[in-house]
Amino acid sequence: MKRVLVYIDEDAVADSLDLLEVGRLMYGAQGFRSYALAAGGRYGEAGRLFDYVFRVKNGPLPNYDSAAIARCIETLHQVHHFDAIIFPATHCGRMIAPRAALRLHAGLVADVTGIETDGDEVWMVRPAFNGRMLAVVGCRGGGPTMMSVRRRVFTYGEPVFKSAGIIEVDGQDLQTPGLRLMERREKSVTRDIRESKVLISGGGGIARDFRLLDRLAEALHGMVAASRRVVDLGIAPREIQVGQSGKMASPRLYIALGISGSAQHVAGIRNAEYIISVNKNKQAPICSISDIVLEGDARAFVEGLLNRIETSKIRTYGR
Amino acid sequence: MLKLVPDVDQLQYDCQRNILIRENMRLMLNPEDVTAMAAALELKREIPETTLESVSMAPRAAMPHLEDLVRRGIDQAALISDPHYAGSDTWATSRVLARYLGTRDFDCIFCGTRSLDGGTGQVPAQLAEALGLPLMVGVSTLVQLSPQARQAVVDVDGEAATLRFSVPLPAVLGFQYNSTCMLPYIRLQDLNRDVSSLITVLGNDQIGMDEAELGLKGSRTQVRSLKADALVDKDPLLLQVDQDGIEKVYQWLAQKGFLQP
Repeated sequence: MKRVLVYIDEDAVADSLDLLEVGRLMYGAQGFRSYALAAGGRYGEAGRLFDYVFRVKNGPLPNYDSAAIARCIETLHQVHHFDAIIFPATHCGRMIAPRAALRLHAGLVADVTGIETDGDEVWMVRPAFNGRMLAVVGCRGGGPTMMSVRRRVFTYGEPVFKSAGIIEVDGQDLQTPGLRLMERREKSVTRDIRESKVLISGGGGIARDFRLLDRLAEALHGMVAASRRVVDLGIAPREIQVGQSGKMASPRLYIALGISGSAQHVAGIRNAEYIISVNKNKQAPICSISDIVLEGDARAFVEGLLNRIETSKIRTYGR
Repeated sequence: MLKLVPDVDQLQYDCQRNILIRENMRLMLNPEDVTAMAAALELKREIPETTLESVSMAPRAAMPHLEDLVRRGIDQAALISDPHYAGSDTWATSRVLARYLGTRDFDCIFCGTRSLDGGTGQVPAQLAEALGLPLMVGVSTLVQLSPQARQAVVDVDGEAATLRFSVPLPAVLGFQYNSTCMLPYIRLQDLNRDVSSLITVLGNDQIGMDEAELGLKGSRTQVRSLKADALVDKDPLLLQVDQDGIEKVYQWLAQKGFLQP
């Protein structure tokens, strides 16, 4: 029986629990015993999904104290000898995982988006070169297989319900003195682009007229999204960036305006049901995954389509 | 800390042989490292007695980039370069960097959160671990850095919130890319300044790592294959942006039910 440890990030509990799916893909539903490290105190449904939950005595270890949690994982590994240790690729997960891997002399694969198995061998798939390539990587040496997993790529769809044994671990003397969270300013709650059925997305080709997208989004009951280029130019906020360094979206309809479609961007929308792209270059990478390609100026398209929608309303309602 | 990365926009891939074409590949400074460097130079403007050293593990071809940085205001640069280091993964790389930095006296290490090529973001964290230092990545703003108080205050732009942390020094700080942070121009009189004496090149003779811990041999991960991301071609309907094209899109949207009032 394999042993799999999952780090539960208290700021991304649901995404952390989904990492059980990675264990299942590696070893089969019955092939592993699951352990959750709930160092931050919050662990949601882990008590019903894992075989064991580790809780920290003497106060929680916050997720940002990567040194403390890495030491805690090392101690746990010395006792439980995990075959795999999995982290959500959150801001803190990304800090903890490499530190823990160094302590355990183990290889670590970051930002995993796929699992391949070949007999007993486990290979991890991750984007590389800014998403232009996919690398298939394995861990070598005697240590556990370690990885951070991109959020929302895996869903633990067929959960096996359990009643976890709670194991208390000693957190004393682990905290980094002087490292503290001084202030947390929540961002204004806006609708998440991942929840929208229709996304109107703009890239470099429409950066100057980006505000036009709002009108089209309104007309089609959707939301506005952006490519990395537009975000880097400071025209759109990072929250609406689509792509591997932004958000992975799977709307019913994705309209890509003036976006050439870096592999990274394309990877972020590959699950969209329909894609319409408007581009001056009909050979742009995004066109190959589109249902409809319009060659030409994105601004002219938006204005034309808005006009057409307006006209039909006038016809229908006789304004 | 500065990484030289291949310019990914120029990346060429040999699909027949399943390899990257590395010949004539142009190197560039990793964009997030440039943000970190710009923050360091800004700090030096505020606190003039600050000294800045850049550290890179790179091939010798990185030399012109480092000379350029010294001309922009970095006090000295170290280039860690040895054929044995080629192919090192983050585990091996961090240990080499830590071996060198362990001999240096510093208040803070600035770097980018991630590199453009590998993009794992593991080296800053593993370097921090190897040196036993606190770490904070994803830094969007350096609010304050006080070597006297042995404390840095940084803002991190998280997904749901902006977080302000106090980090005890010395520490490793990883910056997030910020397109508005740019390196200063080189002053005209510095354009051709001989800066070679300010750049130290170190090989493994100086660093002294065991060869078994280096390169591919010393790596704890192994790349099995690298493939261009396979996508299904959809064979799209091709239209022009004109009245006819827009009409067809309009009808299509209506038919699929996207034009509900």
